[in-house]
Amino acid sequence: MSLLTRLATRQLWSQLRTTEWRALLLASWIAIALTTLLAVLGDRLERGLLRESAALLGADLVLSSSRPIAPERLDGLPLDGIRQTRVIQFPSMVGRGDDLMLVSVRALQAPYPLRGELVTEPPGTGIPAPGDVWVEPRVMTQLQLQPGDQLEFGYQPLSVSRELLGSPDRGTGFRSFSPHILVNAADLEASGVLAPGSRANYRILLAGPAEAITALNRALQPTLADYERIHALSKDQPLTGNALGNALSYLKLSALIALLLSALTIVLALRRFSLGQHTRSALLLNLGLRPGQLIRVYLYQLLLAWLLTASAGVLTGYVLEWSVYRWLADLLPQALPTAHWLRWLSGPALGLALLVLLGLPPILQLARIPVAHLLRGDAPPRDRTALLMQGLSLLLLAATLLAFLQAPLPALGLLLFLLLGGALFGWLAQAGLQACARPLARRLLLGRLLLMRLRQQRQWHRLQAAVVVMLLTLLSVVWVSRADLIEQWQAQFPDDTPNYFLINIQPWQKDGVDRFFAERELDTELYPMIRGRLTALNGDPIKPQLSAEQQDHNTLRRELNLSWRVERPTHNPLVAGQWWQPGDAGAISIEREMAEELGLALGDRLGFDIGGVRVEGEIRNIREVVWTSFRPNFYIIFNPEALQNAPATWITSFHLEPEQRGISRELLQQFPSLTLIDIDQVLDQLAGWLQRLGDSSALILALSLGCGVMLLGVTLLQALEQRRFESALLQTLGVTADQARQLDLLEFLLIGLVCGLLASLSAEGVLAMLHQWLLQIPPRLHTELWLALPLLAALIFVLIGWLIRRPLRLDQCYRLLRAG
Amino acid sequence: MSHLNREKPLIEAQDVAKSFNTQAGRVDLFRDLTLHILPGESLAIIGRSGAGKSTLLSLLAGLDTPSAGHVLFDGQPLDQLDDAARAALRLEQISFIFQSFHLLPELDALDNVRLPLEIQGRTDADRKARHWLEQVGLGARLDHYPAQLSGGEQQRVAIARAFATEPRVLFADEPTGNLDDDTGQQIIEQLFRLNRDTGATLVLITHDTELAARCQRRLHLQNGRLEEVHS
Repeated sequence: MSLLTRLATRQLWSQLRTTEWRALLLASWIAIALTTLLAVLGDRLERGLLRESAALLGADLVLSSSRPIAPERLDGLPLDGIRQTRVIQFPSMVGRGDDLMLVSVRALQAPYPLRGELVTEPPGTGIPAPGDVWVEPRVMTQLQLQPGDQLEFGYQPLSVSRELLGSPDRGTGFRSFSPHILVNAADLEASGVLAPGSRANYRILLAGPAEAITALNRALQPTLADYERIHALSKDQPLTGNALGNALSYLKLSALIALLLSALTIVLALRRFSLGQHTRSALLLNLGLRPGQLIRVYLYQLLLAWLLTASAGVLTGYVLEWSVYRWLADLLPQALPTAHWLRWLSGPALGLALLVLLGLPPILQLARIPVAHLLRGDAPPRDRTALLMQGLSLLLLAATLLAFLQAPLPALGLLLFLLLGGALFGWLAQAGLQACARPLARRLLLGRLLLMRLRQQRQWHRLQAAVVVMLLTLLSVVWVSRADLIEQWQAQFPDDTPNYFLINIQPWQKDGVDRFFAERELDTELYPMIRGRLTALNGDPIKPQLSAEQQDHNTLRRELNLSWRVERPTHNPLVAGQWWQPGDAGAISIEREMAEELGLALGDRLGFDIGGVRVEGEIRNIREVVWTSFRPNFYIIFNPEALQNAPATWITSFHLEPEQRGISRELLQQFPSLTLIDIDQVLDQLAGWLQRLGDSSALILALSLGCGVMLLGVTLLQALEQRRFESALLQTLGVTADQARQLDLLEFLLIGLVCGLLASLSAEGVLAMLHQWLLQIPPRLHTELWLALPLLAALIFVLIGWLIRRPLRLDQCYRLLRAG
Repeated sequence: MSHLNREKPLIEAQDVAKSFNTQAGRVDLFRDLTLHILPGESLAIIGRSGAGKSTLLSLLAGLDTPSAGHVLFDGQPLDQLDDAARAALRLEQISFIFQSFHLLPELDALDNVRLPLEIQGRTDADRKARHWLEQVGLGARLDHYPAQLSGGEQQRVAIARAFATEPRVLFADEPTGNLDDDTGQQIIEQLFRLNRDTGATLVLITHDTELAARCQRRLHLQNGRLEEVHS
């Protein structure tokens, strides 16, 4: 080992005794662990869901439609060398005994899939034979199925022949996360579960040589109807567009905070570290080390620190990744492939960037320490270049972080929020501290000293308060919302809020269904539902009459569900106009938000394309609709006379008490083709997702809190000399050691309480906004926060203060003062 | 004195001035200061606190540059040397002993003494370091770390480190300032003995008149002027 590396190694170990060096190592360790976690998990998700999209799609090209696809749909298109198969996917309730479960059904024809493979237990090839069903583990568990059991599927009981462990072609959106079952398409008809107008997705999967697929894709594009879409490998939705992608971004944003805090901790630890190295550097230079060699010693030391923290960080990242993956595993559609080995280097790479970028400027400055410092204690000249370099390094680091998070805009937004919020709360906390201390100054012996201390430490208090308040805010928001957001949202509904939707009621079943509910004294109302597209306004095509933003409105991009009614739905109050009288043909009612956003008013005439037939109506009134009422709701309702003859299916919703669950079973037995959606199950799935996401991000935020505590420690270190000197002075002037300790305690207690109160205030603010805007329910006060946060914050401050600043003995005081 | 003057001085200060800019304006610490130090002689610079003794020492050692005038080492003007050349000069020909010892805490006594020898690239670093620690009476405490040594012992390690590189000049800045009288006395004895044995030039800063009296020459720095003190 060369002299320089030996010196560096010795320095590294001996400086482990100093708090700043320990903080630096810890911060770098956490940053590397978190980066590893996110890089590896992110890569696995991406590879699982995006890169291996051929297997994910189950084909090279998929034509997807919300209506049945005619057998001759592909006639006349270039199909040479192309294999194809058809799939129908729809939601349905399946059952065993009294238990019902909402699943996503895929009805298959051989060959299937065209790309990728079905993974089953017991293993095998092909698709379910007629009469068989393959079900996912979640279905097996919930319905307590064993292989060979019967699963009720409409009129047709199916035999569970295999467990489905992995499959491509899960479809898109939320349906891809529902538990799946696979059946043979030949069983569909006998089961009677699929009827015209069912909410099904029809797909043709296509696979073949790349050129043939490209040619087919090109030929297919111009023939696409409104209700058809093409999914191709090249333009598969980006990961950020789906639920998992959003989850990952959310986790990455949580991690941004920890990474920023780590970076700040490293900057401050390095500042303190380099201040402590002046004498040592001067001595080494005096003993003959050249400045270049000195820089190398410190660089080696940083590199060694990096090696240490990178190894520990990757290991920790591995454990974290394993735990988060476990957490999410049963929600994931299939087992994820392993990450590319390079991803394991992301954390160490970021750690190296952090240490070297932030560490180089202070190290360069150490090499310029005058040796005369040893004789006269000269401070090194204040170096503008070093400051500039550190500024540039921070910018570069911020850019690296943003690039790494792959979500520059949200990250930038969060960054601004943290900076502005931090500045505001830092200032508020400092003002609050002064306000609290002033009355104390008159009453307490130590009060005046406390006031002086607060003035003297105000810049550090601001930084400490900013960090603690923002961290506690985020942590408590995630903690509170993870547990009770959905619960609160559900709790706002009256007990009789519908918990089942029934759709796909065919006209010829309507009377039977009405009778079914009447016999069981269930209060339901059936609404006709007709699909149509809004195309015209006042006789002319609508789009050219609207702004670009309006043209992109949700109601113009897809077919709308329309209805007709004699009476106004009782849960839709009118906000303008009058409900119509019988005979008032051509009158329509519009939902308030749609009218406002598209700039539509009473008297406007709207034209619709309903199955190729043009229907027009005049807006007579505007309705308020609460979309979350779990009742059938429509943007547009017609006077019956205009639509009565259009092809419709019927829809309703109803409420069943837990002991009435048998009714849903009876209903499906009598009418197997109806689609029954159990809202509680859907919400449970959603709640499960949010809960786990909340847990994962709470884990990351807890690590951030760890970073914050370290940062706090490092900021206390910055002014440690000043505090020690002041304390020594006070003690030699007659203050007892106990009083000096009490002064510290009082300061930390006060700042902790003020920070905790501010954090409660801001957490309530954020939660209130979430309630108001996201859930649209009245905000409530979280008294537990007002108690817990001040206590927690005070505890943190007092503990760190106690750890860092041990009391001075009188002889130490004297020596300290003599040394100046 | 006159016979000494005919010898070629090792260190020479010619009309040296040092001034600082402070908030109150420009302060002249000293001006037109002239001094010759001959090879092998021992010289004490005395004066009250703040007189500029340490500044003068750092000018003579090439650690600082004068506001006016020149400092010559072995006939070579120090202000004409660049940083690297001055560092090389320190490495090869100059050593320091400080009031607060300045040992590296993570190195044991042997390694502390070995360090400058290793920086010089000497292959006999270990042997030499042991030799010099024995010379200062610490042969039995080679593997002790500074924290395990008393103040006097730490200063002895620093003395061994200073002599180990066989410097031509040894600058000592209040070497007994942090030690009690008895220990200080022992340290002084050791310092002068080694100085005598090696023939090195010793430049000492102190306000201890007893210590100063042991030097061949004493200079009093007062009001920016340097005056020879005759016993």
